Amino acid sequence: MLYKLKFVFTAVLFGSLLFSCNKILDKKSSRIADEEGSWQSFENARSGLIGIYGLFRAALADNNAHWMWGELRAGDFRSVSRQDLKAVVDGELTAAYPLLEKVANWRRFYAVINAANVFIERVEGCMADKRYTEAYYKLDIAQARALRAFAYFYMVRIWGDVPFTTSSGDGGNFEALPRTDKNKILSFAEQELIAAADNLPYLYSGSDPEQKFPPNYYGYGQGTWLNAPVTRLAAYALLAHIAAWKGQYTEVVIYTDFIENNFSKSNVSASSVAFITSPSGLFSGDATDNYRQLLGFRFPKNQKETTITGHIEQLALANTVNFAMSKQLPDIYVPKDVIAELFPSAAGNDDRFGYDNRYTPPLLYTTYFENYNAEIPVFKKIRVLDGGTGTGSYAVFNSSIIFTRLEELRLLRAEAYAAIGDDGKALTILNSLRSNRNLKAVSLSENGDVLKDIFDERRRELMGEGWRWYDIVRYNRIRRNDPEFNKLLDNDGIYWPVAQDVLTRNPELKQNTYWK
Amino acid sequence: MRIGFIGNLRRGSLLAVLLMACCVVFAQEDSTATAGDSVKLKATAGITLAAADADSADISVNKVPLKFIQKQPYVSVQQMLKGNVAGVYVQEPSGEPGTEQNIFVHGIGAPLLNKKDLFEQQAAVFINGIPLIRENPFAYEVQKFDINRIGPATNLYSILNADNIKSIEVIKDPASLGFLGPMAANGAIWITTENARPGKSTFSVNAYTGVVPAEKVTPLNANYENQFRTPFYDRYATLNDRLRYPAFLRDSTNANYYGPSDWTDLYYKNTPVYAADFSLSGGVERANFRFFGSAMKNASDVDNTSLSRYAGSFFINVAPVKWLMVSSMINFTRLARERNRNIRDRIAEQGYIPDLTNPLTPNKSVYGSYLGEFGKVVDDNISNSIQGYLALSANIGKVNYDGRLAFDYNENMRDAFWPTTLLEGNNFVSAYFGYNQRILLSNTLGYTFDFSPKQSLTIKGGQSVTSDVNKYEYASGFNGPNDFIKINMVNGDPSASDYLIPKGFQVKYYPARMESALVSFFGNAIWKMGDALSFNAIVRRDGSSFMQPDSRWFTSYSGALEWNITEHLLTPGKTLSALKMNASWGRLGKLLSDDRFSGGAIYRVDMGWSGEPAMGSYVGIPGLTRPYTSGWVGYGMPWAYNDKLMVGLNAGLLDNRIQAGVAVYNRDDKQTLLPIPVASEWGYTGVYKPGLVVNNKGLDLSVNASILEERAGKLGWVFNANLNYNRNEVTALPDGLQELVLGTSKLETGKPVDAFWMFENNGIYASDNEVPLNPNTNKPLSYRGMALKAGDPRWTDQNNDYVIDEKDKVLAGNYMPKLSGGFGSTLTYGAFNLDFQFYYVGGRNVLNQYAANRLDFVNVEANNDINSVKEITFWEKKMDLSGYPQYNPWSSVLPYRADQDLFLDNASFLKLRTVSLGYDFSKAKNPSKFFEKFRQSLVYITGTNLLTVTKFKGDDPELADYNGVYTGFGLRMPRSVIVGFRLNF
Repeated sequence: MLYKLKFVFTAVLFGSLLFSCNKILDKKSSRIADEEGSWQSFENARSGLIGIYGLFRAALADNNAHWMWGELRAGDFRSVSRQDLKAVVDGELTAAYPLLEKVANWRRFYAVINAANVFIERVEGCMADKRYTEAYYKLDIAQARALRAFAYFYMVRIWGDVPFTTSSGDGGNFEALPRTDKNKILSFAEQELIAAADNLPYLYSGSDPEQKFPPNYYGYGQGTWLNAPVTRLAAYALLAHIAAWKGQYTEVVIYTDFIENNFSKSNVSASSVAFITSPSGLFSGDATDNYRQLLGFRFPKNQKETTITGHIEQLALANTVNFAMSKQLPDIYVPKDVIAELFPSAAGNDDRFGYDNRYTPPLLYTTYFENYNAEIPVFKKIRVLDGGTGTGSYAVFNSSIIFTRLEELRLLRAEAYAAIGDDGKALTILNSLRSNRNLKAVSLSENGDVLKDIFDERRRELMGEGWRWYDIVRYNRIRRNDPEFNKLLDNDGIYWPVAQDVLTRNPELKQNTYWK
Repeated sequence: MRIGFIGNLRRGSLLAVLLMACCVVFAQEDSTATAGDSVKLKATAGITLAAADADSADISVNKVPLKFIQKQPYVSVQQMLKGNVAGVYVQEPSGEPGTEQNIFVHGIGAPLLNKKDLFEQQAAVFINGIPLIRENPFAYEVQKFDINRIGPATNLYSILNADNIKSIEVIKDPASLGFLGPMAANGAIWITTENARPGKSTFSVNAYTGVVPAEKVTPLNANYENQFRTPFYDRYATLNDRLRYPAFLRDSTNANYYGPSDWTDLYYKNTPVYAADFSLSGGVERANFRFFGSAMKNASDVDNTSLSRYAGSFFINVAPVKWLMVSSMINFTRLARERNRNIRDRIAEQGYIPDLTNPLTPNKSVYGSYLGEFGKVVDDNISNSIQGYLALSANIGKVNYDGRLAFDYNENMRDAFWPTTLLEGNNFVSAYFGYNQRILLSNTLGYTFDFSPKQSLTIKGGQSVTSDVNKYEYASGFNGPNDFIKINMVNGDPSASDYLIPKGFQVKYYPARMESALVSFFGNAIWKMGDALSFNAIVRRDGSSFMQPDSRWFTSYSGALEWNITEHLLTPGKTLSALKMNASWGRLGKLLSDDRFSGGAIYRVDMGWSGEPAMGSYVGIPGLTRPYTSGWVGYGMPWAYNDKLMVGLNAGLLDNRIQAGVAVYNRDDKQTLLPIPVASEWGYTGVYKPGLVVNNKGLDLSVNASILEERAGKLGWVFNANLNYNRNEVTALPDGLQELVLGTSKLETGKPVDAFWMFENNGIYASDNEVPLNPNTNKPLSYRGMALKAGDPRWTDQNNDYVIDEKDKVLAGNYMPKLSGGFGSTLTYGAFNLDFQFYYVGGRNVLNQYAANRLDFVNVEANNDINSVKEITFWEKKMDLSGYPQYNPWSSVLPYRADQDLFLDNASFLKLRTVSLGYDFSKAKNPSKFFEKFRQSLVYITGTNLLTVTKFKGDDPELADYNGVYTGFGLRMPRSVIVGFRLNF
């Protein structure tokens, strides 16, 4: 009997401890979302769309690449002592510095494109959620297509011919794609933007008499969105730039005229120099009424998106007499002779920077630069530290990466008129911008080179905004009067080399001929 | 979440305490009632290792010689293992007490590309059969730099006191590992603590105290650095470069930098260490107990670092009825760590790189005032760890039952605050709370068939469930109101509008939690044919929640054959007293460390970039995308596993006075997941694919010889030595690839998995016309299109295309050693004993990034990144740099890049790890009455880390990171001298 009891006891012990194990093994991860339950709801669609924007910002912010590509090469900035930045400035883009290899890598753009492709393929499923209406669907698709077109355009500017796909390839074999002709890609981008533009509003969560767009978009008001998502105006701005990059200036005129006639619908307005350089002004990501970033990427402090990298401030700012920072010397600076050449104002009449000789010692207008009297001046046009309240000791930044703003597009419009031979119209536009900067008007009889005046004005106005290199390229494409630069144009030397890592991964690719 | 868990734990521990209390009551009644009644069972841990253990009782080659360890001031399991068992390799990248160290048994099964890989390649540590849970590496995902894990980053294997350990055995044979399951696939460190025993009450006290004398180093001042740089400036600098001469070197009248270099007095200090413990055990056959308590402080002479440990263990064994034994253990440890004051470690946590132009000064008074600012610092690092089990062992005739409910829980807390004076006028606060919890339930039922007196078959079947939780909450904030408010204050009123909104500090908050479960079923058959032959076979099926539903289960099987040759064929003689052969083979499933593979194709937050990995929103709205940065995860991920074969021969000669063991092994790690680089045009950094196969093969050799027998009045000499030779090779890559580039590493089939990928350096081009010309194009040899010039290195153009690029890099060296082990001796004379232990590593390389960074001062200083940090040890002569060629440091080919064999150093070494001299009063010729009471009464003096013999030019070849990179940031290993006593009565 006792023996039996022991067996029962043991059996019960053993049995009681066995239980359903597959149930135990079904652990849902709290850190990731798997396929099951994705693309089914309103929130899924929002996350997917915001993801594309986030990846785009990351692509431009990583290693401050937006400025490596657009601002430094052959531009007005010089490196103080960083050899890798010097190599970019000098156009030695295959130098051994790790930074260059990273900046030459286009993977992050393809992450944007892939995320957009996945979104376009899958977001339809979210309509199962009643809150995700047709209006949302159309608007979101239009944004994804516009972002994808934007990413392709941005890449073509840097690398020329790049591989092209509109498929997510999800779960596929990640095949190696060959390069596609840059003009084909640009044409695709144009068609996409034209198609998307009609489905994009001028304002998100704005007044919408047609009742075409979702009100209170994703539950956020107009002041949250501002112009962070792609608006119809932004789509036209991109179209204008694509046309300009292709040299089709008649089209640029059409698009920029459209922008000129409609910008107020996006609450966009012109910026004064004071507003541009104010820590809570144009570049601030926190103001709830800053619609002047026509197309760009914000880093709002209030949303905990304060970062150290991804801002020109990280490279250009340093301690000045007026603004104490721990960093004694900047990484990059605009040499004094370049400043003097750009702002030749004898009477201090440029709001951006001036040197008024009527006073002794001469009076400095330090809106763009401080420490002008030192060997290395500090470029401080963009200085949004710690939400604009920073004293300079804590070097974290919130300035937005602005792709374009009204002044930029007006200068492009002037450029387009000049390029098609309408110097008068170009001059009118230019002079109106000049007068906004307290510069006297230029006239045709004075020096006769309107195009150069326009590009000089771009150089001053857009300094530090990632335009300089592309401006040089467009200017030389129009002029073709610099034999050295013509070589670059003819041999694809205007493009960046492709990172070794990218080439290793894709056997279909060959290095750009210029960099072989 | 946290409260919920603690609630659970509380309920669990309440149950355990109640059960224990019952047992005690039971035991007391029983012990009076049935005194003298014999009990068949011993204390149980609820798990019995299979019989076909490679070590048999008489020949022990896989156990750590604890009698040495117990006289040494070592605190971690890793340190106890180091050099003491063949086939175990321990990395100790820093001498800072309580920092993480790594254990590898028989090599690595995959490359160590980052710290996550490190987690997946290490051996598991078992305490009384409980596999200890480790810190999960998922916290690195929110970190900009993976120098230290966020939180206290304390080595959780520091919880054990050598005096509380009965044995440490390294389990390498596939059959035993198969019995232990997937957690042990990389080998197991099997630790058995001392336990309660019936019989006379025993009491023991052990203690030591000692000092870590301040290291004598050669301090430098700016003059040395100036002289070091001058030749480069004279030879290559342009006017512009000269104008940018670093400020701290520019002014030779600056006494702070050019004055006396006497900082070492404040950095290296004589530091006391101490430890004391006692144990008490007693009881009778049917109920007994043991208590162990200890306190210890382990410290280093470097930078005021230390680890304090307070530990207590309590064991109760009760046999309520004759056939049932109930055992329990509670083991509690508190670890507190004083961390280093390295700038690099600090700014790595802050994720903010200040202006690093001006380094700390070598001047004592200035450095002293800097250290004075640490008075405002808060840096509390506490880990509490508790293990326990309640185990049952029932024996009814031929039926055996083992069962246990075990848990391992550790919580790790860190509070840090650095004042404004240490970071550009900004203060920083961070708080970390994390816990790791493992609950394990297992049952084994066995039945023994006795066919004849000599032949028996034991069949076992069992099941276990392991449930893990890893969790942390981390918050950090910058820019608090002042240096007196060191916490982030919030309004705790839920109805207030500013409820929990941080005031003052800008707070970032990172919570993460991961759960996993492992369910196992296993069967085991042991067939014994007398003492001559035994066969052991194990089949198990394990299900892991980290695996995808369609491949959740994996079947592992292993077997062992043990053949006692002396028993079977020979008659044990005096010369050959024992000879045993064993062979075992096993296929063992391996676990993943991450839950992101279980769901197949996934979406996650991936909006960050290299400078901001944790960015989770855009304009404040969260976004989800495919995992572009971490890599595509598809479906059909199989279990990774390894096939292991081990054949060993153990012999005893001269009445087992000489014991030797030799074993050869072959290990193939298969189906390991690897992020394969695919075309970048899909956005991914890689695609996870199984298919990596890495082979390790090698040999373990152990000798333990009593050369001179210990006899009264005679000198006794016991010699011990162990050796491991291991070599690894990549035998296959996923998708049938032949080679694969992963970041800065390359894997190639047929080549070692731990090789460095680098250029071959052959000197310097003294002038431009020494650079070879391509006869076809008449262009000079170039670095990716840029012609090499005078002052550039001569790198071998492997493919003769007159372009130096990645294709010219070759695999060279290896960071895992080919040879490792230790040897030592014990000399006894009367009551005196002297022992010493050497530790050696051979055939290992390190990449000397320290030298590369010192020589590449132009870029390192200009970049102002994490590698630009100059610690106070910048002013210490760690190595002689004069042997390197004088390249043009401004050249755009990066002449002093680390990935060239110029910086590949031989890091083989031999260390005299300890010398210990003891006197045992109880062995004295005429012990006094007083000492007769003791079973042992030993006093000893021990010195550690006494001598290093190496060709390596840096300070210590051991101080390299897991991937073989010597950065010079690791703190020196402390030398120490202790005196102690051990009393048992």
